[in-house]
Amino acid sequence: MSLLQEAAGPVLEHAARPEGDASIFVSLHRWLIPEAFVDQVPTWFVALGGIGIGLGLLIGLISVTVMFCVWLERKVSGHIQCRTGPMYAGGWHGWAQSIADGVKLLTKEDTVPKDADRTMFWIAPAIVLASIFGALAAMPISYDWWFGRMDLGVFAILALSSTTTIGVVMAGWASNSKWSLYGAMREAAQVVAYEIPLGLSLLAPLFALGTFSLGEASALQSGWFGMKWAIFTNPFLVPAFLIYAISALAETKRAPFDLPEAESELVAGFMTEYSGIRWSFFFFEEYAAMLLMSIVGAFFWFGGFESPATGALRAAGVEESSLLFGFVCFGTVMLKGLFGIFLMMWLRWTLPRVRIDQVMTMGYKYLTPLALFCVLGAACWEALVHALFS
Amino acid sequence: MTDTVGKAEVEQTPQDYKPSIQAEEQRTLPSGEKEFFFDVTTSDLEVNMGPQHPATHGVMRVLIRCDGELVTGAQAHLGYLHRCAEKIGENVEWLQYLPYTDRYDYLASMNNNLGYSLAVEALMPDLEIPRRATLLRTICAELNRIASHLVAIGTYGLDIGAFTPFLYAFREREWIQALFEKICGARLTYSYIRIGGVFNDAPPGWLQEVGHFCDVFEEKWKEYHDLLAVNHVFVMRTANVGVIPKDMAIDFGLTGPMLRGSGVDFDLRRDMPYMAYGEAHEAGAYDVPLGEGKKGALGDCWDRFYVRMLEMKECIKLVRWCLEVIEDGPIIGDVPKVLKVPAGEAYVGIENPRGELGHYVHSDGGKVAVRCRVRGPSFTNLAVVEELMPGSLLADSVAIIGSTDIVIGETDR
Amino acid sequence: MEFQAIHDRLKAQGAPGLLGFDEPRPANKKEKDPGRAGMPFVTIDPAHMVEFLRVCRDDEKLKLDILCDLTASDPSADSEDLWILIQLLSIEHKHRLAIKAPLPKSAPTVASATAIYRAAQWHERECGEMYGITFEGNPDPRHILLPDDWEGYPLRKDYEFPREYHGISCE
Repeated sequence: MSLLQEAAGPVLEHAARPEGDASIFVSLHRWLIPEAFVDQVPTWFVALGGIGIGLGLLIGLISVTVMFCVWLERKVSGHIQCRTGPMYAGGWHGWAQSIADGVKLLTKEDTVPKDADRTMFWIAPAIVLASIFGALAAMPISYDWWFGRMDLGVFAILALSSTTTIGVVMAGWASNSKWSLYGAMREAAQVVAYEIPLGLSLLAPLFALGTFSLGEASALQSGWFGMKWAIFTNPFLVPAFLIYAISALAETKRAPFDLPEAESELVAGFMTEYSGIRWSFFFFEEYAAMLLMSIVGAFFWFGGFESPATGALRAAGVEESSLLFGFVCFGTVMLKGLFGIFLMMWLRWTLPRVRIDQVMTMGYKYLTPLALFCVLGAACWEALVHALFS
Repeated sequence: MTDTVGKAEVEQTPQDYKPSIQAEEQRTLPSGEKEFFFDVTTSDLEVNMGPQHPATHGVMRVLIRCDGELVTGAQAHLGYLHRCAEKIGENVEWLQYLPYTDRYDYLASMNNNLGYSLAVEALMPDLEIPRRATLLRTICAELNRIASHLVAIGTYGLDIGAFTPFLYAFREREWIQALFEKICGARLTYSYIRIGGVFNDAPPGWLQEVGHFCDVFEEKWKEYHDLLAVNHVFVMRTANVGVIPKDMAIDFGLTGPMLRGSGVDFDLRRDMPYMAYGEAHEAGAYDVPLGEGKKGALGDCWDRFYVRMLEMKECIKLVRWCLEVIEDGPIIGDVPKVLKVPAGEAYVGIENPRGELGHYVHSDGGKVAVRCRVRGPSFTNLAVVEELMPGSLLADSVAIIGSTDIVIGETDR
Repeated sequence: MEFQAIHDRLKAQGAPGLLGFDEPRPANKKEKDPGRAGMPFVTIDPAHMVEFLRVCRDDEKLKLDILCDLTASDPSADSEDLWILIQLLSIEHKHRLAIKAPLPKSAPTVASATAIYRAAQWHERECGEMYGITFEGNPDPRHILLPDDWEGYPLRKDYEFPREYHGISCE
């Protein structure tokens, strides 16, 4: 048990309660079905209903967030570039622009190139979308609300989010276009190269916190009035976070690592031949992946649900299982995630794109050994602190 | 897979169907099944960059032979924007041809007007250009040079992957276009500089506004410098890429920033002065920036880019000098409505933003030219691309095309 | 260097194929000479064009190391000659030289200048498709601006505009 674990005691206990109790499916159907009728409802209905509601909530939540992110991207890029961005759709600062875009994309013709492999061409966006939704499902919404509760949450997220590559490579291959193929191959090379520093840099906070579960990781950072964030407790987590941030940019194909879709070189990379709603799936995936990476970063470096707001609630005696606390947790983590996304946008509209050999050099030659060093450093630091103060 | 191909054969009409698997690769097996052989060797891949490609800045096509990301051969195909400018020049009257000059290098129309006017004026020794006209011409040509370089560096950033400098550059270019709109009513194709002078005097307050623009632009220049020129990623992408040594630059007949980027100290404005440029240089109004290989080898993409950056600064100085010395006076010489140019031949080359814009005009004394040749700098500058691209990466080839700063309207005329 | 000095230097160096020069002159009404405006140029024999260009490029005093332009001209439909027009430029000495080489329309073939100036390659391609001049030794003598199957030489004065191109009416 690390020092953090000892200090976090009661909160951790709450976060680590047995599974069924905390699943969002169960808690939801409890609210929906009155207590008196619970026995009369068949079990399969509860299970299916829970799954349906859970999926609906997940898709709704992520879709709304992604649409907001698209609007935000336009506004951020606009203001960085001395423009205003969308101003008309919906009235107030073009808030409905994403909805209008969505309607446009839905009604656009869905074309498939003549000699494309139709089946693969159609499946590819679905795989991309499914894998990112799967990864996001492993993310807790608050201490009590989960879509899919996993003790090895980070593993699930890393595994599922890198499955998008398969979809991208499929899309590039099936399009029967040389530009698409280039994009897909670049994506494959890039993701393989950056999966390693990404995983290794995540190991550093995992050492510091001693858990793979996102909820537990957050609970472990609940001291200091909600500010006992991992990054403040271990100096080796700072370079580890930088490595994580760079690798996350590369994983999500965001500038300056947007080589798979490099629009000035590869027209639109693996998405060249896609149009309409299928194209928007790739677009959607990009923003969802950004959200995922930001939130994972928030959980393992920046306190997750914890912030002075939760600290204040705790001080005021609000129970952690209460609705208010849940919403504050959710709001905190979303704010942190959106701030991460904002940083990614800022970088995108500032930096030029790097070249493929530079991407590879940086990934293999610098980031991977540095990440290893950070892991070692973080582990040694923990051992040292443990030996000195306990 | 067999099904897909079979279906495609049924659906397509014979003319437009081109089987993805060639007939000789199809063979019938003893069982009666058709067998397909796929070419799985790792031979070079031929990629068609263009005619509709963001990196070619218009409708140019570069056929690239690639081994993975490495470019092993390149061949430029031009002519998609060929509008027969030279043939038109032989069929319309002298003055009527002026609007056509706007359209070859549409980013620097003022300079094109100037080149053509000077060439025709070279055939008319009696024609005297008023001083105010000369200085107005200089101001407009230099402002247009800034506008053109702004597009060049902005789109170069875009090629490298940085969006924002592009819009910053267009913000200032917009101002220059507004200035031009005030003086001649057009924003892109001006036809402002005419044979004999300019066709409209500067409206009241225009010269002051130009001075104000110069002040503001110098501040903005620092923004581009910090955002793009010394940006580490940008330098990584452009330094040591597409290196043109001095000899090669001269052998390929490069001119303008392409030549100076390779460290060759030559500028037509200073070395073979026309209009007021000689006088301005004596007054110390401008210098000629050269590539120095600061970030990599001499003559790389970064050098060419940076020469354009520095040139914008020199243009500002030159415009300031013109604003100081300009006086009131007539703005156009005595040119008849129906112009008959004395018989003779002349070649006049001027320093366009992209290099030497040459006009060879041949008159037999009539109303129409016998030959009106346009030597566009983009055309010659582009020829070097085929030589530079092999051996670079695919992303570098985009950087190389971008650094030549071609305008397809001019290569194809 | 001034034009006259360049011409004298070329003559002194024994530049092969140098035929003479032409300078602008004012009109002379007595001799019914309409005069000539514009710029001076030297006239050369196209058969020796490459050697002449080599002298221009390599001579210490001339050093005309940039080929600005290589084009042709068809002065009139009746003319028996096409003109090859070359503009050279010296970076070091900051002077220009215009060269004119009359080439008979009956045999429009000339050796390529690509070996002297690489810049000549694309200009020669353009010249070839527009005037039907064959540049022997050009490494890549395809069309450059016109489609590969274009018929006729558009910039010749006797060129007739096509009625249609691949079924597209041009009327």
